[in-house]
Amino acid sequence: MAKPTVILVGADKGGVGKTTVARTLIDYFGAHQTPTRAFDTEWPRGTLKRFHSDLTEVVDVTSVPDQMKIFDTLGSAEAKVTVIDVRAGLLSATLQALTDIGFLESAKKGQITFAVFHILGSSIASLDEIAETARVVGDANYFLVKNFINNTTFFEWDPAVYNSYFKKIKGAEEIIIPKLNEMAFEQVEVASVPFVSFVGNKSAKGEAANYSFVLRGYVRHWLGNVWGEFDRVKLVDMVSPKIESNVRQVAG
Amino acid sequence: MSFRSSITIVASPRPRVGKTLLARLLTDFHSHEGRLVTAFDLNTGDRTLAQFLPDKTTAASVRDVNGQMALFDHLVAYEDITKIIDVGHEAYEAFFSLAQNIGFVDEARRRSIAVAILFMVTPDHTSVTAYRSLRERFTQATLAPVHNEILGPAQHRDKYPLAAGGPGVVRMAALAPGLRRYIETPPFSFADPRIADPTRIPAAAYAELGRWLRRIYLEFRELDLRILLADLRSSIQFSSHSQ
Repeated sequence: MAKPTVILVGADKGGVGKTTVARTLIDYFGAHQTPTRAFDTEWPRGTLKRFHSDLTEVVDVTSVPDQMKIFDTLGSAEAKVTVIDVRAGLLSATLQALTDIGFLESAKKGQITFAVFHILGSSIASLDEIAETARVVGDANYFLVKNFINNTTFFEWDPAVYNSYFKKIKGAEEIIIPKLNEMAFEQVEVASVPFVSFVGNKSAKGEAANYSFVLRGYVRHWLGNVWGEFDRVKLVDMVSPKIESNVRQVAG
Repeated sequence: MSFRSSITIVASPRPRVGKTLLARLLTDFHSHEGRLVTAFDLNTGDRTLAQFLPDKTTAASVRDVNGQMALFDHLVAYEDITKIIDVGHEAYEAFFSLAQNIGFVDEARRRSIAVAILFMVTPDHTSVTAYRSLRERFTQATLAPVHNEILGPAQHRDKYPLAAGGPGVVRMAALAPGLRRYIETPPFSFADPRIADPTRIPAAAYAELGRWLRRIYLEFRELDLRILLADLRSSIQFSSHSQ
């Protein structure tokens, strides 16, 4: 039986697009027929659950019962991949909790595949986060995600300073999330459906919808580019080397 | 696949090569054939398609998302109307980049709408490169070079390769210089029966105009047949592959 995979999506800063990235990951694994479940730590009311209600459970990651709900079920859950959307400000605390319960040790021993998607903000404070997070993450698959979806600019960073942080982290990879047209993004928000459902012109109930063809086209093009980044870092190989990679065509 | 309706895009990255005249002729041709037709004009300035055929033409833009939605969502709507798009040289790159990114031709085919691109050929490098780029980017569309004979003889040869089994070069015959003044003041429709009025166009000029129109309409009918044949061929190939 393949070992379970846990993907932590987080940042210590709010509003940098953690949930958006978590949604693209769930869609990506769905397109690869990889059973996936998600936990939304924006307890008590999760944003991720609004888009992927069938796969997502809202949890309080600081409470022991909810930690048990996530980590004690890794081996028995039908879903092979567990995506955890970590609420702003809780990334460091969550990583500390994972250390305390011995999860990171299990990952180190190869019993669990563990990856962190660290969504970077545009401020220089994000660079300090990288160093702090990298220290705890250790040998996990560590992805630094520059999210341009909201037209974020990273101009505040001196490339030399950024590279000095980036190169310190063994095996860290950079992922770029490109900008998505604002109106297209807004319409997906309003529709409250996964990106793939929007592209496929489907409502939350799976019925035919009437979204703009142009906006669907923008989302499809953007999602193709995001998945191209996931292909580039061999995300599917990380989860299971046998699964065919490079699924890009999402429109039905 | 059997196409329910069609979208014809008239395009060139160059100005003043006869795009709007061709779009006018196509719009009036489809009306003449008894089809419902509507046109979209992506030009700015004077003597645009919207000025010549105001009742049948919508001014369009791809500069912002609202304009893009107004145009493309209308193009792929489920309605049995023939649609003509006059893509001005200024909108050329933006239009085709967007069409490629949002998968316009594939979506149209999914909805049983045939897409044809009529490309005005000129001997310059920009046009030749643009034509080849369209061939690579829009393999599911019918791409036909159009030779506007008023621009000179045989300038399309070798530079504009034809698709195997696709349409040949569409020839747009030159209108005698003395007749141009009758058709170049907007609004003007070739399908308007009032142009037969000798007080508007002298009888001899009207007869000459009729001959010119018949030659061009013959080219359009030939093009329609080619698109139909290409459709049949792809249907037969699809059937034999799926058996």
